[in-house]
Amino acid sequence: MTAAWRRTALVTAAIAVLGTAAPAARAEDKAKSGSDEPWILDANNWQEGKDLLPDPVLKRLEKGEYWFKVVPVDPAKFRQNFAQKFWDATKGNAGKYDLDEKTCGLKDKASGKIPEFVFGLPFPTIDPKDPLAGCKIAWNFTFSGNQGGGGGATFTLDGVDGTGEYRKIKAFLHGMIYQGRLDGEIKDNPENLENQAVTAALEPQDVEGVSSLNKRYWDWESQDAIWAYVPSTRRARRVNAATRSDPVGGLDIFADDLNCYGGKVEYYKWKLVGEGKILAPVLQPYPFPMKQVNPSRFMVDTPYVKAGYEVPKSKGAQWWPQENLVFIPRPVWIVEGESTDPYYNFGKVIMYFDKDMYRIYWKLVHNRAGEYFYTAMCGYHFVKNDETYSAVFPSLVLGVNDKTSRAALGGRYQSSFIERNWDPNYFSLRTLTHLTD
Amino acid sequence: MTARGTALLLAVLAALGLYVLLEYRRPATLEPEQAPPLLRVAAADVARIEVDDADGRLIAVRGPSGWTDGAGRAWQGDAPSDLLDVLATLGPVMVVDPAPENPADYGLGPDAPRLTLTGAGGTVLLALEVGERNPAWTGLYARAAGEQRVLLVGAVLHWELEKLKESAPGS
Repeated sequence: MTAAWRRTALVTAAIAVLGTAAPAARAEDKAKSGSDEPWILDANNWQEGKDLLPDPVLKRLEKGEYWFKVVPVDPAKFRQNFAQKFWDATKGNAGKYDLDEKTCGLKDKASGKIPEFVFGLPFPTIDPKDPLAGCKIAWNFTFSGNQGGGGGATFTLDGVDGTGEYRKIKAFLHGMIYQGRLDGEIKDNPENLENQAVTAALEPQDVEGVSSLNKRYWDWESQDAIWAYVPSTRRARRVNAATRSDPVGGLDIFADDLNCYGGKVEYYKWKLVGEGKILAPVLQPYPFPMKQVNPSRFMVDTPYVKAGYEVPKSKGAQWWPQENLVFIPRPVWIVEGESTDPYYNFGKVIMYFDKDMYRIYWKLVHNRAGEYFYTAMCGYHFVKNDETYSAVFPSLVLGVNDKTSRAALGGRYQSSFIERNWDPNYFSLRTLTHLTD
Repeated sequence: MTARGTALLLAVLAALGLYVLLEYRRPATLEPEQAPPLLRVAAADVARIEVDDADGRLIAVRGPSGWTDGAGRAWQGDAPSDLLDVLATLGPVMVVDPAPENPADYGLGPDAPRLTLTGAGGTVLLALEVGERNPAWTGLYARAAGEQRVLLVGAVLHWELEKLKESAPGS
């Protein structure tokens, strides 16, 4: 080999080495400098994810199955995704609320009873040394999610394994919220509800019309009332609230994955066990606009999150989102939750709650035998029109069963609506039994 | 009907009655017993927790005002109690290998982390070798001191041990 060739080979090798090392170095620089430039976290620089992701997710990142477009955001600007009205109410809630120690129910300090109507975060400040901090965080989560007041979307549930999609279910969910609405209290609430919802499967034919009606009571003790309707039997029957931990449609996803926790706060024993930083999945860091279509209804258009199985030659696992999802480093409370219901299938659940916005971004689930088996990633989008109205919605849930190495994607709708004046009569057994008429 | 036919019917009836009686009296089939938990005494009976691993020795001692480390520094949070609560309910998922040829395959052996729980009188209540996580990370391999068989226990034990380390005084 001539000296010139040797030099060329050396330079080429140096470029190759630098090329491999550079992304990791760049990622580290950006993370440390607080730069707001987006960067990619993948198998090449997986070590950068060590303090930003739960263990089972980090493992898949290292193997090249997952990658993340990380978009740092200004925390003060991110906070403004919620309207000033929400933050003013939160500030005004300081010192007003307490907890019923036995049930973890929300209590009005003045009356010693459940408050009549609350909006904004009930606990503006969390003291990590407070033994009831976990329960207070769970209540903040509830009221952060309730601010919009209700709406609906038609969405898909996609079962995905290592070879691609194996089942698709199309369904809709319509919800009406009584507590926490920025629009104020609905005086006509004869059933004393916190919220109510109707959900129904639309496709495929074998599940068409299978539907449920859910009512959550605004008290400390009641179980949710859930009725399930199966068109072939033409009967609606009451089911146990613990069915939230049953797989939906045989897929690796659960009703309790909506917002990463779909139950009543009082169902769990909550415990704050740590603090940290996590990559938070969102469609975009800042709010989407809402378009008014009638006096009470607003439409929101959001982009579709394509997964690996839908993108030829995609990078990573078949179920991993490929576009229209970004990850924001966010400070989180790490909270354990455990149900006291013997019919509930989950054991210890570990959840990562945003310290400011009170969304759960990730949860790790153990079964009753203490085996870890499942991770859910919960992605969101924000909607805001002015400083009097804002909302946050679950855009997608990615449930990954690490025991079977299968996953399910839920949500990913492109259009949804906000309804600020529901007819409460819609949420009835009559609606359920007439869906397939 | 003839007397012989009547007698035959009565005999069949008596046999059926006897069958129903015996079936009624037979004790119900017992459900297979659940595996006993790793810690077979009440969590409150544990006075001292020791974890020995490559990073050194971690000690948690129960005191009147909570848990302290070997130097008497207070433990942050409830991680020692949480660990005991889990061990008092966590049974092995399965016996993975009754007699392993090479325990190191499971992360077990002389260099494996060890968890020792002792009572107020110094009695060892649980001594456990804690091995690697299984490939799916759903569980951990473990082995009781003095035993050969390798158990798979739920990964919640890994979570609790990590919590314990992270909340140790001075960590």
